[in-house]
Amino acid sequence: MHILLGTFAFLCVFPFIYVIIISLSNEASLAENGYQLIPEEWSFEAYAYLWQMRAQIAKAYGVTIAVTVLGTIISVAIIALYAYAISRRQFIYRKQFTFIAFFTMLFSGGMVPFYIVMTQFLDLKNSIWALILPMAVNAFYIIIMRTFFMRTVPEAILESARIDGASEWRIFLTIVLPLSIPGIATIALFSTLAYWNDWFNALLFIDDPSLVPLQSLLMRIESNMDFIQQNSMLTNQNSSILNSIPQDSARMAMVVIATLPIALSYPFFQKYFIRGLTIGGVKD
Amino acid sequence: MKKLGIWGLILTLVMGILAACSSDSGSEASGESSDDHVTLTWYLIGTPQPDLEMVMEEVNAYTKEEINTSIDLKLLDWGEYDERMQVITTSGENYDIAFTSSWANNYALNARRGAFMPLNDLIEEHGQEFKEAINPAFLEGAQIDGELYAIPTNKELGQQAVLSFNKELADKHDLDLSSVNSIADLEPLLEVIKNEESGVSPIATFDAYLPFDSILNEEMPFAFRLDGNTDEVVNKYAEDVTMETLTTMHDYYKKGYIKQDAATSTDSWPLETPNWFVRKEIYQPYAESIWSRTAGYEIAVRPLHEPYIFNNSVTGSMQAISATSKHPERAMQFLNLLNTDPYLRNLLDKGIEGTHYEENEEGMITDLPARVESFNMPSFAIGNQFILKLYEDDPADKWEAFEEFNEKSVPSPALGFYFDSNPVRTEIAAISNVTSEFSPALLKGAVDPKEYLPQFNQKLEEAGMQKVIDEIQKQYDAWKSEQ
Repeated sequence: MHILLGTFAFLCVFPFIYVIIISLSNEASLAENGYQLIPEEWSFEAYAYLWQMRAQIAKAYGVTIAVTVLGTIISVAIIALYAYAISRRQFIYRKQFTFIAFFTMLFSGGMVPFYIVMTQFLDLKNSIWALILPMAVNAFYIIIMRTFFMRTVPEAILESARIDGASEWRIFLTIVLPLSIPGIATIALFSTLAYWNDWFNALLFIDDPSLVPLQSLLMRIESNMDFIQQNSMLTNQNSSILNSIPQDSARMAMVVIATLPIALSYPFFQKYFIRGLTIGGVKD
Repeated sequence: MKKLGIWGLILTLVMGILAACSSDSGSEASGESSDDHVTLTWYLIGTPQPDLEMVMEEVNAYTKEEINTSIDLKLLDWGEYDERMQVITTSGENYDIAFTSSWANNYALNARRGAFMPLNDLIEEHGQEFKEAINPAFLEGAQIDGELYAIPTNKELGQQAVLSFNKELADKHDLDLSSVNSIADLEPLLEVIKNEESGVSPIATFDAYLPFDSILNEEMPFAFRLDGNTDEVVNKYAEDVTMETLTTMHDYYKKGYIKQDAATSTDSWPLETPNWFVRKEIYQPYAESIWSRTAGYEIAVRPLHEPYIFNNSVTGSMQAISATSKHPERAMQFLNLLNTDPYLRNLLDKGIEGTHYEENEEGMITDLPARVESFNMPSFAIGNQFILKLYEDDPADKWEAFEEFNEKSVPSPALGFYFDSNPVRTEIAAISNVTSEFSPALLKGAVDPKEYLPQFNQKLEEAGMQKVIDEIQKQYDAWKSEQ
């Protein structure tokens, strides 16, 4: 059993190790032999290349961290408040508000209307809020949180708090929230991951190079590479285009630095994660 | 009642927000005189450059003086340009100028869709100098139904496929390149390389050259012949020359001249790695010296055919004025200036003298590190290339050579014919699926054409190819009769 699980765990980690190995391979030997488990020649060239790009990468890191931290806080706050409101039986419009949240899971407006609303009505183009607000509310997490509140916080506690004269805010902040830490931590982790990995909003709304987050930078490099390979006639005549884009090993090195922090933070969340998800997962 | 109440409240709120927002944005458009200073938004393909802002300050100081206009230049990365422009166009966003071409932000499609402004009158009025500066074949070939929708860049006019060789290897084994005029002529050379050089792949994977002008795209079957009966739309995969060429390619594959993974490989074969002997490229004058410089060893070329003028080559790099633009006249004035004023054109391309490049007494330039690191602009995408300054190691007659190349370029029979694919969209989607299944392996020589070409044609037939060919022929005949 242990061997089986161990093998499975290894298979999960292996792709990442492979990426690290490729990032440490010599570019020329990559071009000649393709990806190899044990490269012919080791090299730190890729990381040296990234070191040259450090100003841009540092900026991108800054944007990603700011978006992730700010986004997670905003997102968790909105989701928790919304979910708490619709979890309370005394709230007369809870059905309507549940429906409003639920409805967005079934239908979406599509990309173009989304773009129009963001750029023309809300004027969020080239703003850090364009990276935060679209992902701040997630209907699915609201419903998980609502179920979590209804399961873990007995009505009797709220009742007695009310008798003791606590206001709604006080009940929420000092009684409900502390009781629901596993649930909160779960959606906080989900939000963190979502914000950390998001590149699409940046693709749509960000032109300003100083506001490009890390994953988006990575994505841009990848898609540039693809594009240029497909349109090789461009590069034949304009070799400088290709020179301005990192090669294989450098791309893998970027994957490593973009993934490592979030992968390392994972174990710290894990204990909440298991408890939170199983309880929140039961719908009624 | 209560239920109605809350829905009503939400509805009013939403309507209120929408109303408030739309009333803001509506009020700018009216009342502008030619003396007003305007700012134009310009979308261009290319990786955003750190020094762009600094250079744009200089650019704007100049354009303000000349035509009382500032430019807000937005560079969008190569890989995302297409997608971004699609969203921007469909959402009806207001912008003024955008890069368009046959390979990114599709020119013909957008022009037909009404995304770009028709330019004939505007050029008449504000673009006379530009009209004189550019080879008339560009203006002729890029017209769609008699109307120009974007300003072409003055560059090489024809497209010419060449075989380029790793000259070091050719010299080492005393191979005579001058005898090579087609893919079939390569055989004896490849054999030597295969036997003598172990670490080298004789052929750097490429698609076989076929002498057709393809409609839609290179892989799709619809094409015009370049000689013989050129007025007939054909399925190029049913032509004899295709069978011949692909048989040669497959023969090379069987003999091991082409890498085993050719059909699926996406290797880019970087020039810097000398692990290849011959490859196929698109040529422009003096390209071999650029390639040699990039590679670090000498590269020789042999043409496969005369340069042909295709739709793809005249629409290879253009600037369109958006149909949503509020200042089309100003945009045209700016494009006119950009394509005729050497100072402005060089400033946008090479950056600021002394910071990004140095100029010697003869007017030749050398890049400074700042240009390589932080102002690496896509030169060919910006505008007229013939007024660009030359580098010290460029041949002095570079632009003359381009003009000569343009002179001898032969117009393809279908130059200026743009197919409207709307009537047969379903068939084209089906055919495109079949094509992407068969053509990569066939064109790269990985499978036997004797076995697979008939199968391929059979499936194309089933996917409704004849209907598309008929439609193209119909549109072509109508177009031809108007010429």
